[in-house]
Amino acid sequence: MTATADPRAQGTTASPPEESRAPLLSSRRVTAALSHVYIWACLLVFVAPFLALLGYSLTGPGGTYAVANFQYVLGSFGDNLVSSFQVAALTLIVDLAVCLPAAYALVRFTFRGRRLIFSILSLPLYVPGAVIGLSLILTYNFTYHISSIWGLVLAMAVGTFPLMLTPIVVAMKDLPLVFEEAAECLGASRWQAYRRIVLPLIGPGISAGLLLAFIIVFNEYLVTLFVHPPGLVTAPLRVFNLIRTAGLAPTTAALAVSLQLVSFVAVLIFFRLFGSRNLKGTYFV
Amino acid sequence: MATVHLRSVSKLYGQTVAVDDFSLDVADGEFVTLLGPSGCGKTTTLRMLAGLIEPSGGRILFDDQDVTWLPPRKRNIGFVFQTPALFPHLSVADNIAFGLSVKGQKKPAIASKVEEMLAMVGLTGYGARLPGQLSGGQQQRVALARVLATDPRVLLFDEPLSALDKNLRDTLKYSILDLQRRTGKTAIYVTHDQSEAFAISDRIVVMNNGHIEQVGTQTDIYLQPETPYVAEFIGANNGLRGTIAGRDGDGDDAGWLIEALGHTIRGAARPGLAIGQEVVAYVRPEDIEIVEVGDGAGYANLLDGTIDRVIFEGATAQVRVDVGGREMRVDVSGNERLTLMRRDGTVRLGFHPVTVIPVSEVPEAS
Repeated sequence: MTATADPRAQGTTASPPEESRAPLLSSRRVTAALSHVYIWACLLVFVAPFLALLGYSLTGPGGTYAVANFQYVLGSFGDNLVSSFQVAALTLIVDLAVCLPAAYALVRFTFRGRRLIFSILSLPLYVPGAVIGLSLILTYNFTYHISSIWGLVLAMAVGTFPLMLTPIVVAMKDLPLVFEEAAECLGASRWQAYRRIVLPLIGPGISAGLLLAFIIVFNEYLVTLFVHPPGLVTAPLRVFNLIRTAGLAPTTAALAVSLQLVSFVAVLIFFRLFGSRNLKGTYFV
Repeated sequence: MATVHLRSVSKLYGQTVAVDDFSLDVADGEFVTLLGPSGCGKTTTLRMLAGLIEPSGGRILFDDQDVTWLPPRKRNIGFVFQTPALFPHLSVADNIAFGLSVKGQKKPAIASKVEEMLAMVGLTGYGARLPGQLSGGQQQRVALARVLATDPRVLLFDEPLSALDKNLRDTLKYSILDLQRRTGKTAIYVTHDQSEAFAISDRIVVMNNGHIEQVGTQTDIYLQPETPYVAEFIGANNGLRGTIAGRDGDGDDAGWLIEALGHTIRGAARPGLAIGQEVVAYVRPEDIEIVEVGDGAGYANLLDGTIDRVIFEGATAQVRVDVGGREMRVDVSGNERLTLMRRDGTVRLGFHPVTVIPVSEVPEAS
């Protein structure tokens, strides 16, 4: 009887000590369980609407199951998807051409009003798409009417370049100056130092900017509505047009799902390339 | 390989003088160290030599070529930074190849040079690794190899060992010296570490507040300091304030008599001093011996004092002695350090006139 009263004494015998067994309902376990419930609830709330859309997009005539809707998307809305990709690609090129030199100048040169300029450059982030669209219509009409794709691309670039500028500026700021100095002392010109040292090292920042800008441009509806040239209808614009004129058809839902998938794939590619590898850990400075 | 000449080089940041009227000639193949505390302008001087900073005045020449306004890439220098600064996205081999490839050299020539350099710094077989896979010491050796691959005229070092631990510093400083000797390149090395400067330099430039205090060999600087700053910055020293009372004998090589601590101290002969001048007479702690009170023990200078405390440091012990209100440090070694620890009270300090260096209070330059 005395042996069972003292668990430590029991531990010296064959059976294991009692205190090694955790209680079934410890506060830690309860917290862990609640966290899981919370995360799954979040997932449900945010993903459920997408699942509803997915289900609807697979509905055929008379409530049957139909993959045909997606074949229809590629056939009939193919032009719209191509236009979206075109606009996105051209916008990203314009954004890059503006942001790479701007980020370098903002970080590497000290001049008066540098912070003010950076704040002003970020302004389009806080301006609603409708305002950007309206101001661009006014600008185009007063100067010259742009009927080509470039009017739209320019509008998209105005709205998205702060999204790309910010991550590139952050990456530039994180990059110690000593790498460029070392390159120049080894005989590299400023341009060689930029292309061979700076550009690869700010790669993650550039990619993050590209991803953000791509997703915004690819899915932008409002700005497109204002300044799209005649004959060019991007996929999101087509979705809204169809809903306005014909209501929600399963084929329209399929187009919307396709749009969503493109964004998902872009994010996946990004994390595959840059998510697992932490380049910052290799700076040793 | 080249000679390096700085002619009245200065650098101002607004009203702040970082480097002031800096003139120095470095011989071909010489190893010169700029030594001074942080903020003394040594790194600024080095960066002006590299072309990373433009001077506010003066000229810089490599041999006969005026490089004052040339960008770094046109100077053909090798700069080793405080951090290895290896390009993290390039392999060790590509890091070493960088300087050659930006100059448009052919791939086979680059590859053989890279192998040669890796062998030179003892890292053969490490070419394919990324910098992140090397230790700090290995990285700094790759940085050396990267610099030597371009066959620079001048090697510039900006405290290359300060980021490493002590054991590594000790071995790597001799590697640096060895590489410099083997390649015969002119080297200018910046450090705040006296032992580092003493170990590897042909000549040392002691800097303070943007100007040169003294240029000389290790023995010049340690034994014949020209300014109070040098005497106090290098090693430990006892400075006794006083005035020159007269000459200790006849002729120009006679020593000086210095009135200090209420005594007349016999000092070493030094040029440029005159009777009545205010001086600080410096005596190194290791040049003073503790002798029995009442005993002269053959020393021309004897001061009586009381032991304040004894600090045991292992191989040596520091004895702090109060001499007429002025604390003097005496370093003792051997058995004496053990006997002194059990002793207090009155002692007598003895030292020879040649060890007493009178230094003019006001530097001659100003």
